[in-house]
Amino acid sequence: MEKKIRILIARLGMDAHWRGSIVVAKALRDAGMEIIYGGNQNPDNIVRMALQEDVDIIGLSSLSGNHLELAPKVVKLLKKEKAGDIKVIFGGTVAPDDIPKLKKAGIVEVFGPGSSLKKIIESVTKIAGGSAN
Amino acid sequence: MAKSLFNDDAVDMIRTKREAWRKEIYECRREMPKKFETLSGFAVKPLYTPEDLSSMDYLRDLGFPGVEPFIRGVQPTMYRGRTWTHRQLAGFGPPEETNKRYKFLLKQGATGINGVFDYPTLRGYDSDDPDAAADVGRGGVSIDSVKDMNILFDGIPIEEVSVSLVTCQPICNISVQSMYFANALDRGIPLDRLAGTSQNDFLMETAVTIAPGVLPPAASFKLSCDAIEFCSKFAPRWNPISFAGYNYREAGCTAPQEVAFVIANAIACSQEMIRRGLEFDSFAPRLSFFLSAHNDFFEEIAKYRAARRVYSKTIQKQFGSKDPRSRMFRFHVQTAGVALTAQQPLNNIARAAYHAMAAVLGGAQSVHVDAYDEALCVPTELSSLTALRTQQILQSETGVTSTVDPLGGSYFLESLTNAMEEEIDRILEAIDGMGGIVKAAEKGWIHEEISAAAYKYQWAVESGEMPIVGVNCHQIEDEKLPIELFSIPETLGIQRKKLRQLRKQRKDAEVEKTLDAVSRCCERNENLMELLIGAVKVFVTEGEISKAMKRVYGVWDPPLF
Repeated sequence: MEKKIRILIARLGMDAHWRGSIVVAKALRDAGMEIIYGGNQNPDNIVRMALQEDVDIIGLSSLSGNHLELAPKVVKLLKKEKAGDIKVIFGGTVAPDDIPKLKKAGIVEVFGPGSSLKKIIESVTKIAGGSAN
Repeated sequence: MAKSLFNDDAVDMIRTKREAWRKEIYECRREMPKKFETLSGFAVKPLYTPEDLSSMDYLRDLGFPGVEPFIRGVQPTMYRGRTWTHRQLAGFGPPEETNKRYKFLLKQGATGINGVFDYPTLRGYDSDDPDAAADVGRGGVSIDSVKDMNILFDGIPIEEVSVSLVTCQPICNISVQSMYFANALDRGIPLDRLAGTSQNDFLMETAVTIAPGVLPPAASFKLSCDAIEFCSKFAPRWNPISFAGYNYREAGCTAPQEVAFVIANAIACSQEMIRRGLEFDSFAPRLSFFLSAHNDFFEEIAKYRAARRVYSKTIQKQFGSKDPRSRMFRFHVQTAGVALTAQQPLNNIARAAYHAMAAVLGGAQSVHVDAYDEALCVPTELSSLTALRTQQILQSETGVTSTVDPLGGSYFLESLTNAMEEEIDRILEAIDGMGGIVKAAEKGWIHEEISAAAYKYQWAVESGEMPIVGVNCHQIEDEKLPIELFSIPETLGIQRKKLRQLRKQRKDAEVEKTLDAVSRCCERNENLMELLIGAVKVFVTEGEISKAMKRVYGVWDPPLF
């Protein structure tokens, strides 16, 4: 049996909106992935949880506008922990100009408002390099 | 004795004729291949007739505005007497900057202030807390101490303008509202002159914006009730709570859930106030509500009308109040942020205008219209102004204010209002069966219900069953953003500097003594607001107060997923 994709979903910093993160988490779960839902966390905790849980992907969510400060920190900390193979994706309210900035900082995929769940599932599956089931 | 609106013979004749019409005329045409139902899943028929209202007793079920069951409006004259309050939400960056925005909006004709606070303030953290750094000034204005509150309302006539404090969580409200009151007292304005509202809803902390390490539901509920108790004694024109159905809806729940949750919450607060020895009619007229205006036009209007009737009936049954004002469901509406799209953002002007019209046809007391850029950023001056003008156009140009409850009596709307009422009653019963809203929140049930509904909604958008212009239909490939986005002014440095100075200048012994008193007040289960209005004067900060409370109450890790 193929190993299930393990993904940590966390909300960056103190952002108050959970709707997107939970809806995406449920969709990924129903697509056969294993979800660790961390809720609001700072980058240190996110990386600690990711290592403890041995995840393939970290999905970060924020609608507060803190993404340029906090999302790159997660990537940096992963590298520092020699866990650069864990891929980081981001979803939330993000100005179009910020997308290239996030990608440059090592976030492999960015999903803005209105993103399709099917596309997110496909993309996560591809990033993890396997099939969802 | 119940008197129905139509006599049985007439209804029978209509039924016969309508059946014939359906078979011979309607069914010769094709309907579009879609499910006809409201956003929250109420079935919608092709046509409504007196048959649907055959059991309606006008005097019992509709009556007149300003009297029971208030379905036609809480005021007899409604907008013929006074327009709804044009209360535009604003808050970002340091208080110095938000103060300018408030003054701008008031100058442009806003008739109330609606102040929103940044994420650290909402969660009870100071700006210099390391976990807060990335969110300081985001989503609202940053408030750390009473000095920030002085700056925020500097030069604004708070004895005349009604001010809504969108404090969301009680942990935030207890400090921030105390700072607002302390600022007023400092300016020589007695508390009984202050008109306004604070949000102060424990479900915000425990079901809607939940995060690890929040206050336990019972503690959060207690703080919320402290503010209600305090205001009923000392600030009689202040609405000490605004049950935040809007936020439950933004998080994903349906229209009937939105209303049922706020009413269940109001019942719980009322029971607690009575337990504390207050007369029901001494606080109930000041319980206020906050609802969303989402995409489904008639469903939203039905929701507001049903809310008024359910509330008046339920309150009468449960508490037997003497004062009719205790049974009035008064509410503020914000147009649905969740309905806005980042794609083709100027389309949001049209969306928000429809939402606002539903709010007004539904009899709202006050309205905020969302700005067109809110799916992308905090509103610019131009987008806030356009939102305010949307309200002014609605009020002055469309004629919807000329008569009270203009859609009352519509076969469709009254039917939908009845269906909505039935569903609200069903959910209220389920919550009652769980032992009330606090228990339901503790079990994680409210959060679960909201997130399940959010998930269902998203798949409906995904399948195209729920069309969203610009998102799943009428898209523009490689769209170039047609608007300028707002960037939040520098905040963290300013707030940190003020905190450094504050901590240096204040008297440490006094601060320590005060924070100790806060913890002891929690231990003794006494009213915290009475203490805090004095306490904030010695410049204890919001974050310090929160820590002093959490030392006693502990924290709660809610079921998150």
